[in-house]
Amino acid sequence: MQDLLDTLYNTFIVDDRWKFLTTGLGNTLLITFFSLLMGMVLGFIVAIVRATYDKTGKLKILNFLFKIYLTVIRGTPVVVQLLIIYFVVFGSVNIDKLFVAVLAFGLNSGAYVAEIVRSGIMSIEKGQFEAGSSLGFSYAQTMIYIILPQAFKNVLPALANEAIVLLKETSVAGYIAVNDLTKGGDYIRSVTYQAFLPLICVAIIYLIMVMIMTWLVTKLERRLAKNDKG
Amino acid sequence: MIRVNDLDISFGKLHILKGVTTHIQKGEKVVIIGPSGSGKSTFLRCLNRLEKPCSGQVIFEGTDVTQANETELNKVRQKMGMVFQHFNLFPHLTIRQNITLAPVKLKLMTKEEADKKADVLLKKVGLADKAEAYPAQLSGGQKQRIAIARTLAMNPDVILFDEPTSALDPEMVGEVLNLMKELADDGMTMVVVTHEMGFAKEVASRVMFMSEGKIIEEGPPREFFDNPQNARVKDFLSKVL
Repeated sequence: MQDLLDTLYNTFIVDDRWKFLTTGLGNTLLITFFSLLMGMVLGFIVAIVRATYDKTGKLKILNFLFKIYLTVIRGTPVVVQLLIIYFVVFGSVNIDKLFVAVLAFGLNSGAYVAEIVRSGIMSIEKGQFEAGSSLGFSYAQTMIYIILPQAFKNVLPALANEAIVLLKETSVAGYIAVNDLTKGGDYIRSVTYQAFLPLICVAIIYLIMVMIMTWLVTKLERRLAKNDKG
Repeated sequence: MIRVNDLDISFGKLHILKGVTTHIQKGEKVVIIGPSGSGKSTFLRCLNRLEKPCSGQVIFEGTDVTQANETELNKVRQKMGMVFQHFNLFPHLTIRQNITLAPVKLKLMTKEEADKKADVLLKKVGLADKAEAYPAQLSGGQKQRIAIARTLAMNPDVILFDEPTSALDPEMVGEVLNLMKELADDGMTMVVVTHEMGFAKEVASRVMFMSEGKIIEEGPPREFFDNPQNARVKDFLSKVL
């Protein structure tokens, strides 16, 4: 018992070590939030362009560029992308590491969001486009008022899953020495030589965040599903 | 009102419409019948360019629909309503929103005007109590009546009906046809593709028979049904009547 208390004290209290976890958590949340935002915006744009090309044949060049983007991002590990953006793209400039992390994870997430949203748009039946057109809506208006709200609802579970994956994926931000949650726990391990407590604690914090997100999504889904009840 | 000149359309090797020419006057109720695959629906969908014809013209109120740019086309479509076989209501919106979406977003009415119009139309189609329901809560016949109300909200000059009762349970066909009859009595110009011969007889001012991409016979319903000239029409009528 005394042993455990000592370890606890040593792990979290001495030198205010708990602060590594709280700062880390803050950074993890920050990176997740902003890269998620960027990923969503980017993903929706890419998805709309790709779906427009599939449906009308317009935006050919943009579609081609986005296809390359998707192939490259989805075909390489996120850690490698992170390292390349930090050491190659921004190698010669002094730049905030958090910003680089947001950029890298946002670019990465955008590719996955794009394919999720595109599948959602393509799953809406042709009749919905035709109904929109026949009322005098332009293609863009049909998209905004009729297609995207339905597509978004259909892919919401998949998008939420992407957010959860992203939260966990940011744990590799330590590769460019960002002090995120994982890095914080690992730092404590390296100074106390006690691996169990800090790492388990980090794992539990991730788990709690994921559970909260899952709970929120279930609630949201239930609210959206109300419309469909027959 | 709608002048169609030598309309021609192919999908790949399939030659669907082979030079269709006709003129639809204001107030006319044109009912198009014919065997499956004869090009009836395609013809109808060419009128508001849901299908783009390969050649020919569709002149609607002075605009050539086949050559119109996006803005002109959308203007045409606002005045040319369409009712689909599968209703195509917007499942994420309430019935009221289904009806008011287009007039409000296209800035033809304020939200208040559109709401008022929706109330009037819902009463007309007999579904005033469903304003806040969602499409999934309605039966097929009710959905189609709402689809008609949605079209009427745009104050169209003509309404195109693409087999409006073909996807309905038999017991629900009547309520939709009755509503369409009412519209006809109100003087609405209608172009209807249907298999309902009774409706054609009773409501049409002109019956048009299509086969293999051509109009092969047309005329007032009495003449058409009692004394068809073309052998293909006789054969068809003997099977369906």
